[in-house]
Amino acid sequence: MAKWFYPVAGLCALMFALSPFVIASAPYESTMGLVQKIFYYHMPAAWLFLIAAVVCGVASVRFLISGAPRQDRVAWAAAELTCLFGLIALVTGPLWARKAWGVWWQWDVRLTASLMGWLVSCAYLLLRRYGGPGSDKLAAGLALFGAANVPFIYISVNYWRTIHPATSVVPTLPFSMGGPLWFCVTAFVLLFVLLMSLRIRLEEQRARLDDLYLSLDE
Amino acid sequence: MTRLTALLGIILLALGQATVLFAQAPQSGGTLQQEGFTPIDQLPPQDQLPAAPLLISAYVFVVAVLFVYLFSVARRLASVQQQVSRLEGDIKRGKRA
Amino acid sequence: MRPFLRAAWLVLRKDLTVEVRSLEIALTTLFFAVSAVMVFAFALVKEGQAPEDGAAGILWIAVSFAGTLALGRTFERERQAETLRALLLAPAPRPAIYVGKLLGIVAMLVGTELILVPLVAFLFQAPLFAHPIWLGVVLVSGTLGFSSVGTLFAAMLVRLRSRDVLLPVLLYPITVPVIIAGVRATAALLQPEVEFDVVRFWVALLLTFDVVFVTLALWTFEPLMTD
Repeated sequence: MAKWFYPVAGLCALMFALSPFVIASAPYESTMGLVQKIFYYHMPAAWLFLIAAVVCGVASVRFLISGAPRQDRVAWAAAELTCLFGLIALVTGPLWARKAWGVWWQWDVRLTASLMGWLVSCAYLLLRRYGGPGSDKLAAGLALFGAANVPFIYISVNYWRTIHPATSVVPTLPFSMGGPLWFCVTAFVLLFVLLMSLRIRLEEQRARLDDLYLSLDE
Repeated sequence: MTRLTALLGIILLALGQATVLFAQAPQSGGTLQQEGFTPIDQLPPQDQLPAAPLLISAYVFVVAVLFVYLFSVARRLASVQQQVSRLEGDIKRGKRA
Repeated sequence: MRPFLRAAWLVLRKDLTVEVRSLEIALTTLFFAVSAVMVFAFALVKEGQAPEDGAAGILWIAVSFAGTLALGRTFERERQAETLRALLLAPAPRPAIYVGKLLGIVAMLVGTELILVPLVAFLFQAPLFAHPIWLGVVLVSGTLGFSSVGTLFAAMLVRLRSRDVLLPVLLYPITVPVIIAGVRATAALLQPEVEFDVVRFWVALLLTFDVVFVTLALWTFEPLMTD
């Protein structure tokens, strides 16, 4: 395990432990009230969902071009985190929407695109889990097509109406709300980096195990 | 190996504290909630749902999911590393013999 | 360019010859599509009236279900006879093999649609034949988009253990835009007053999708099919 891992893990745990207090200290949003506080975990999770998906797509393309096993491991790790953070964003979102919009779910462009992206990440994991040998390239192909799909989903659903708050809201937040938000974003990014390095390490150890078994056979 | 387990233990413990803090959150949220809901008559009907259960379930869900995932990665990593070290031991012994 | 088209044509002719002799995929796919339409008719039709836009949705669901079945079966046949290996060993450009296979699937699905469309029009009182050319464009471009992804994935899945389960799992999330655009365009064509701007928008989206995904598939078919 790398040297930076332990201090960062400690810092991340501390930030997560403090985050309820920081969030509780933030003022109430005028129209939505208490339920708006879901946002402090929802938005960082949604951002990391996107970042993980992008990491997975880039690593997959690089794997297809170069065939380097490391890129494949990064893609696999990122796909699992896409699924994890996507699940968090997709569950906390409706909990907020139930109060703010009065319904659990809307076929809004952001929601639909997120759901489809999450489904693709699930399909990726199912493929890795049950595909057996040879599934690594197919998984990379799936990630590539999944990435190419995003603009189409956006255009096609955008033709209907959009009610999800725009991302342009974020920079306009006052510091009393923005401060806690960026605190949570930092905590989530640290968590992402930690989980990513743990998950890549797992793949490396698995590859090492395979090598050992091969050398044992010889 | 032991260092890794110890580290994961620390992370789990820290996250465990976080859940304790989350358990406190509804109380502070409860008092503040009344302030937030003073103009309740002016709100549209769907806004008059109680917000606290939604908020609490959201945070509990996030922590629970992160816990489960961390636990699963730690368990997988521990078992693979155990196998690796066992196999390396076997190979060393085999070479000596 | 000539050898490429020739190779694609030979693959297509081979598939069609095999199919015409046995009619296995054509008949099973068609029967399956018709059964799917029946199930939706039982589920959705109330008091003799189908829900608004129901016909468009049912038509596309039947096409995508039947498409998955046909895709799986076409490549299963190649696998059982070990002919896919022979096909890949042949001195033909790999993308040409893909194009031949793709055209075979599209031909099969368009054949199924020729029977499905009258059936849906008949069972759901949908004016599907009001604008036959537009409907044809929508159906063919949608089928091409669906099959372009499907052929690539089905070809790659041939070598994997659980290919039957994985094909729909991989295919449906990726082809969602095609289904959305296809259903919306068909639903727009079924309105009493057709807004051609809407139809044109969705057809343009379908065609863009076709171009992007066929290009991507041609580019990835070579690296993905080599061991």
